Amino acid sequence: MKKLNKLMALAVAAASAISLASCGSSNAENGSDSSTVTVGLLHSMTGSMAISEQAVLDAEKLAIDEINAAGGVNGKTIEYIEEDGASEPSTFATKAEKLINQDKVATVFGCWTSASRKAVKSIFEDYGSLLWYPVQYEGMEQSPNIVYTGAAPNQQIVPAVEYLIDQGYKKFFLMGSDYVFPRTANMIIKAQVEATGLEVVGEEYAAMDQTDFASIISKIEASGCDVILNTLNGTGNVSFFKQMAEKNYTSEDYMTMSFSIAEEEVKTIGADILKGHMVSWNYYQTTDTPENEAFVAAYKAAYGEDRVTSDPAEAAYDAVYLWKAAVEKAGSFETEDVLAAIKEGDVSFTAPEGTVTIDGENQHLVKPVRIGVIGEDGLITAVVETDPVEPDPYLTTYDWAVAANIQPLE
Amino acid sequence: MKGIKKQGNNITFSVIVIILALIPLFYSMGVISSTSTIMFLGKCIAFSIAAIGLDLIWGYTGILSLGHGLYFALGGYAMAMYLKLQATGGKITEFMHTGGLTELPMVWRPFTSLPASLIMMILVPAAVAGIIGYFIFKNRVKGVYFSIISQALTWAAYSVFIALSPYTNGNVGISEIKSVFGSIKGDANLGNLYLLFYIALAIMVVIYALSYILVQTKFGKLLVAIRDGENRTYFSGYCVSRYKNVIYIISAVFAAVAGALFVNFNGSITPSQMTISYSITMVIWVAVGGRGTLVGAVIGAFFINLCEYNLSSGELVNIWQYIIGAIFTVTILFFKGGIVGVVRDNIPSLLSKRKGVSR
Repeated sequence: MKKLNKLMALAVAAASAISLASCGSSNAENGSDSSTVTVGLLHSMTGSMAISEQAVLDAEKLAIDEINAAGGVNGKTIEYIEEDGASEPSTFATKAEKLINQDKVATVFGCWTSASRKAVKSIFEDYGSLLWYPVQYEGMEQSPNIVYTGAAPNQQIVPAVEYLIDQGYKKFFLMGSDYVFPRTANMIIKAQVEATGLEVVGEEYAAMDQTDFASIISKIEASGCDVILNTLNGTGNVSFFKQMAEKNYTSEDYMTMSFSIAEEEVKTIGADILKGHMVSWNYYQTTDTPENEAFVAAYKAAYGEDRVTSDPAEAAYDAVYLWKAAVEKAGSFETEDVLAAIKEGDVSFTAPEGTVTIDGENQHLVKPVRIGVIGEDGLITAVVETDPVEPDPYLTTYDWAVAANIQPLE
Repeated sequence: MKGIKKQGNNITFSVIVIILALIPLFYSMGVISSTSTIMFLGKCIAFSIAAIGLDLIWGYTGILSLGHGLYFALGGYAMAMYLKLQATGGKITEFMHTGGLTELPMVWRPFTSLPASLIMMILVPAAVAGIIGYFIFKNRVKGVYFSIISQALTWAAYSVFIALSPYTNGNVGISEIKSVFGSIKGDANLGNLYLLFYIALAIMVVIYALSYILVQTKFGKLLVAIRDGENRTYFSGYCVSRYKNVIYIISAVFAAVAGALFVNFNGSITPSQMTISYSITMVIWVAVGGRGTLVGAVIGAFFINLCEYNLSSGELVNIWQYIIGAIFTVTILFFKGGIVGVVRDNIPSLLSKRKGVSR
C-alpha cells in the first residue's frame, strides 16, 4: 500500500508537472515574429454554450485558413490562440485579460451570450483593444471597442414584426427564455405592436433550462393568439416544439416567429416538427449568392457533409474578413489605426449574405434582412429579402420606439 | 526536525505568502510577463479564502456544503453594487432603467457608501447562513441531506437573482465596474493593482491566522469532535447544533469576503458564481489540496485554478476538463488527504531514510 501510494504520488506530480510545463511552452510561443500576426478566439468550448459556439469558432478558423491560403493580411500569416470561456462570464473576463495583456493579440473574435460580452466589454475598453462579436443581440449597446457583426434589433426583430403585421396577424403572444435578450426583445416588440393599435395577448418567460411547457402552452391556448413570437434559447426550444407537436399543433394552428432558431437548431429539433414555422435572420444556408455557395462548400469540406451553416457562423466568418479589410485599409494592425479605418464607414466585405459594411458610427453592420420559412428538408428559405438595412442599435429612427421611451440612460 | 514537522503547514503557507509578496519583483524582472497574470493570482487569493472557509466546515467539522457559491456571490454582489454605484455616481443603472425603474431601489440604497457596503457584505451572508443554519442544524439535518439542502438553497437563490432582473440584471450580472482603488488594468494603473493585490494578500493572511487560531482553541477541537463522533459530543453535554451554526456562519462570511475581493479583480459578477457547479468546484479545491489542513485549502485553490487557467487554451482546450476531472477522481480514490496528505505521508519517511543512509 505504501508503495502504491508513492507511485501514485509520483504519477500525480508528473501529470501536474506536464500540465504546467505544457502551458509554459504554449505561452512562450506567443511572441509573434515579423511574418505572423496573432489573433485570439474566445469562445466556450466546454459547458452549456459549447454546442452553439463550436459552429462559430469553426467558421472563424475557416476564414483564417482561407485568408492564410490566399497570402495572409498585409503580408502576414494569421495565427490564432484559442481560449475556452467555459460558458462562464467571469472565465471570459479572465481569458480576455490574458489574450490582450499577456498574449498581446492584434484582435479578438469571440463571445456569444450577452452575459459574456458584457463581462469583457469594459476590459476591451480599458485596454483599448478590439472585439468582434458575431451574434445577433438585443441592441442598446455601442462600445467603441466592439464591432457587432450580428444583427441589431432593427435588422431582425423589428422587420419580422413588421412582416407579421403586414400579413394580417393581430394577436401576438410573446414567449422567451428568462434573460436579457428575450426581455429586451419583448419590450421592443410590445412597443412596436401597440403603436400600430394591435394587441399583445400574453407574455411568458421560461427558465433557461425549463423542459416542461405545459403551463405556457395552456396559456397560449387560452390567449387566443394567432402568432407566437419566440425568443426561447437553447434546449427550451426543443421541449417547447416537441410538446406543441404532441398536442398535434402545427404551424397552421399556431404560427411561430423565432429569433434564435437557425439551421443548427432545426437539425436538433426536427424539420418535421418545425416545417412551416417562420424565423428571422440575415442569412440562411440557402441564401442564393455565389459567395455563399463557396462558403457552404468550404464549410462542409472542412467540417463534414452533415454540418450546416447558420447566421451566427456566417457573421463570425464575415468578422474575420472585415477585420482583414479594416487592417488593409489602415495599413496597420494597431487597434487605433484599425478603428480609425472603420470610422470612415466604408470597410466592407462581399459576404455570403450579400455585401456588408461596417457603419462607421456605431460599428454594427449594414446588412440585409431575410424572413424565412422552415422547409421539410430542414433548410430555411427566405420569403422576404430586403436591401441592406442601416443598423440602429438604439432604435432612435423609429417614432414608436422613441415614444415608448426605449432609450438608454444618458 | 520535530519543529518542521509540527509547523510544516504554517511554514508552507508562509512560503506561499512570501512568493506572492514577491510578485511585483518577479514582474519587474520579467519572470511574469504581464499584469493579467498578477490579476489572475489575485483572483486565486480570493479563491483560497473561500477554500479556507469551506475547509473549516468540511475538513474540520465534517459538514459538506455544496452551496458555498451562494455566499461567495452574496459578498461579490454587495461589493459589485457599491462599485457600480461609484461608476454611475449614485444614479440608477442601465438595467434598472430597462427594467422600468425610475429611482434607486431600496435594496441598493445602502451601497452608496463604502462602510455601509462592507457591513452589508458581511451582514447579509452571515444573516442568511445564521437563519438557514439555525433551522437545519437544530433539526439535526446532517450528512448528505445537508449537502442536498445547501444545493437547493443555492439553486433557489440563483433563480431569484435571475428573476429579479430589474434589480440584479438577471444572468448578465453586474459588470463594467472598476476596483475599489480605480482601474487596475495596464501598466499605467500598476500602483492600484499592487495595492489591491497586497490588501488581498493581507486579508488572506489574516483569515488564515484567524482560522489557525480557531482550530487550535477548544472550539476548534470541538469541531473535530463533532466530525469524528457527533453523538458522543452531544452526550458529552455540548450543544452541537450551536457550534455547527457558528462555524457555518464564519465560513459563509469568509466566502463572502472572498467574493468581494474576487469582484475587485474580475470587474464583474454574475449569478453563475452562485450555481451548484461553481460551488462544487470550490469543494474540489479543498479536496485536491487536502481537507482538514488549512494550507491544503490554499494549495488546492491555487493548484486547480492554475491548472484550469493554463490548460484551457491552446492544444488542450477540448480536453482540459477531463484532466481536472481525472485529478479530482484520483485524489478522491487514492489520496484522501489530497496534496498535503501525500506530502505529509511521504516526505518525512523519505527524509529519515536519507538521514539513515548518511549515517
